[in-house]
Amino acid sequence: MSSRFEAFLGISVELTAFSRFDLLGTGLAERYLATLDKVVGGEITDTLLAAFVALPPAEGEARIQAVRTTILGNELLGDVARALIKLWYSGTWFELPCAWTERFGPRPADTTFIVSPDAYVEGLLWKAIGAHPAGAKAPGFGSWAFPPKIPALPELVSKA
Amino acid sequence: MLFPLESTLKADAKTVAASGEYDIVIVGSGISGAIIAKQAAEAGKRVLMLEAGTGANITLAGYDDLLTTFYSAVSKDNQSPFPLNANAAMPRSPQLRKLQAGETDSSTYIVQSGPYVSDTTYTRIFGGTTMHWEAKTPRMLRSDFKTRSIFGQGLDWPLSFEEIEEDYRLAEQEIGVSANVEDQQYLGQTFPGDYVFPMRGLPLSYLDQQVNKGIEGTSVELCGKTYPLKVRPYPQGRNSIPNPAYDGGKGYRPIGAVDTHQVEEGGRCQGNTNCVPLCPVQARYHSGKTLAKAFAVNAKAGERLVELLSQAVASKVNIDPDNGKVRSLEVKVYKDPASPAHEAITVRGKVFVFAAGAIETARLMLASGLRSTSGLVGRNLMDHAYLLNWALMPQICGTMRGTSSTGGIVDLRDGPFRERQAAFAIDIHNDGWGWATGAPTSDLLELVDDRNLHGADLRRGVVDRVSRQLLLAFMLEVMPDESNRITVDPQYTDALGNMRPILSFTVPEYTMKGAAYGRRFARTVFARLGAQDHTHYDPGDFGYVAYEGQGYAIRGGNHLAGTHIMGTTRTNSVVDKNQRSWDHENLYLVGGGSMPTIGTANVTLTLAAMCFRSSRDILKYLH
Repeated sequence: MSSRFEAFLGISVELTAFSRFDLLGTGLAERYLATLDKVVGGEITDTLLAAFVALPPAEGEARIQAVRTTILGNELLGDVARALIKLWYSGTWFELPCAWTERFGPRPADTTFIVSPDAYVEGLLWKAIGAHPAGAKAPGFGSWAFPPKIPALPELVSKA
Repeated sequence: MLFPLESTLKADAKTVAASGEYDIVIVGSGISGAIIAKQAAEAGKRVLMLEAGTGANITLAGYDDLLTTFYSAVSKDNQSPFPLNANAAMPRSPQLRKLQAGETDSSTYIVQSGPYVSDTTYTRIFGGTTMHWEAKTPRMLRSDFKTRSIFGQGLDWPLSFEEIEEDYRLAEQEIGVSANVEDQQYLGQTFPGDYVFPMRGLPLSYLDQQVNKGIEGTSVELCGKTYPLKVRPYPQGRNSIPNPAYDGGKGYRPIGAVDTHQVEEGGRCQGNTNCVPLCPVQARYHSGKTLAKAFAVNAKAGERLVELLSQAVASKVNIDPDNGKVRSLEVKVYKDPASPAHEAITVRGKVFVFAAGAIETARLMLASGLRSTSGLVGRNLMDHAYLLNWALMPQICGTMRGTSSTGGIVDLRDGPFRERQAAFAIDIHNDGWGWATGAPTSDLLELVDDRNLHGADLRRGVVDRVSRQLLLAFMLEVMPDESNRITVDPQYTDALGNMRPILSFTVPEYTMKGAAYGRRFARTVFARLGAQDHTHYDPGDFGYVAYEGQGYAIRGGNHLAGTHIMGTTRTNSVVDKNQRSWDHENLYLVGGGSMPTIGTANVTLTLAAMCFRSSRDILKYLH
């Protein structure tokens, strides 16, 4: 794995609270990195990844606060990072806000679209709630009669 | 179940036009047409079925393409699996907007003439609306057939429950209904001696059970009568566990996916939570299953008794002026959904059956200038009005799992209060707030963009927000009203030059009174559950209706009816109790359009039952 892809996985783990194992298991990580490159361009993607790599090795609240101030609260990177979270959770790239486009310039590929049919199916949202994407990965006859099995949060190695 | 390979060969338009007279020409491949085609083929009759859609989904590969289209669609609305086809366009609810007073909106396939804007849909594709239906199959109640006599509201049917009861059983067999008799004996519903449904009832969802825990044993008072509250299971047209006691101990064999090749899926519901808009495995009934049986007769008979001509849009009915009979049907056959190029053919038959759904059947009649002696073609348009109420349960309920709906509160489907206000049946939606708010995607956007959650907080946030969702959908009775109607106008046409339907509708006061009570009822239920009410109706909503100082967003139910209403004489109705046109003796207008009232039952089971009745009448007529 290239260090660029490593950094992409790292920031994805940080933002989604799903493990590398879960993220690689979707089979979509490379395509999502390629989606970022395609929509906002390699330069902004690299800036985002560099901001993640430069995060202080803090844990807990301090780490969350660092992500907020240097990534999610960054005027250039915040909306891109939020789009990345939504992409992982739903398989859909949601068009960046107008304010971002006005300030940093429109990107031709920046429309709301589903990356691929399997991207919808692999959306993390469904996994987070112990359900399954509507229309796929059916849990079996009668399973709905039982309480949901909501997966516990993984022990994330945020320093990795 | 197998489709004989030859059934998927496209019938050739020229051959069809040249092949002389069919015994029966059927317009539409939905459940009504499919039942009549099957019954006729089994009696050795030659049937031509015309389908406006491409017919590509007759094979499993074509069906699976619809699923892929659904996965790829940003807006997962109830028509999202079905590709755009300007030659056989269909209504799509995300395209709607609120009308100003007196305004008409012709930007969507159905021209909305208001004042109420209906998001009702039907599907113009092989299999018709059974390709997207939710497949709840309650019977109508005895009183629903005589609301005029009992409550002074609506109209009486020319048929009683007793006259249709046996056909209900045939429809339950054909659809393959899963239900337990003991769960369906509320409000005086009875079943003969040893009757059981083909398959056992689907279990209630965990969400249903949590709601039931909070309300069972409580009751409400309405017009001096007490109604006990309880979550009861709905009968469903989807495969469950076969009941060995069915049919006098013969049992029932579920029919799964149909294809031209051997396929083993859909024999039992897997819980895809996607009945609407498309069951991925075909565990939910669609009319292709009935048509597979009709096509199978071809092989047995050694000749092609049933032919399907797809991409064939019925355009005009020609009447013999001497006897009023339908002489022929003009049909536009297009080559490619992307192009309006088509050839016009004329087809002939002894009997014609229009089974294109309540709106398209009326549209075809009106576009042919056939208003009927009563003038009622297109009038009395009905569709259940839905009022959505949504809340967050105090506990995790595992929302987003199950079939679309497994249970509901149905004890207010009947009672003396129907003298003044609409009855209702409530569905609990296992897909949470989806219908009302676009959940769970809308929740994700809010949590990420507005509440600035990420990481573990976001994961906890979606569980807290989505897994507790409860949506109560009130399906409200709508009575026939002649001014609620479908019309046509040559200034509004589609790609093929066919006139489009124009919809004029006012939600009747009777229904709004029921809606206003329904809102109060929902608040009572939420209070008993300790659920946080999140319901709000936006005055900018296309379906917003003000009533007695309050506003309500009313949704269409896709249970279309009334446009060729059934009655006792040619002056009070369009068809007789066998769905035969009073004016044209070899024409049957079948489906929801014949229903004089719809009560609080989803219409498909009842219209399927009526088509068994019509099949017998058609065969009698042909002999």
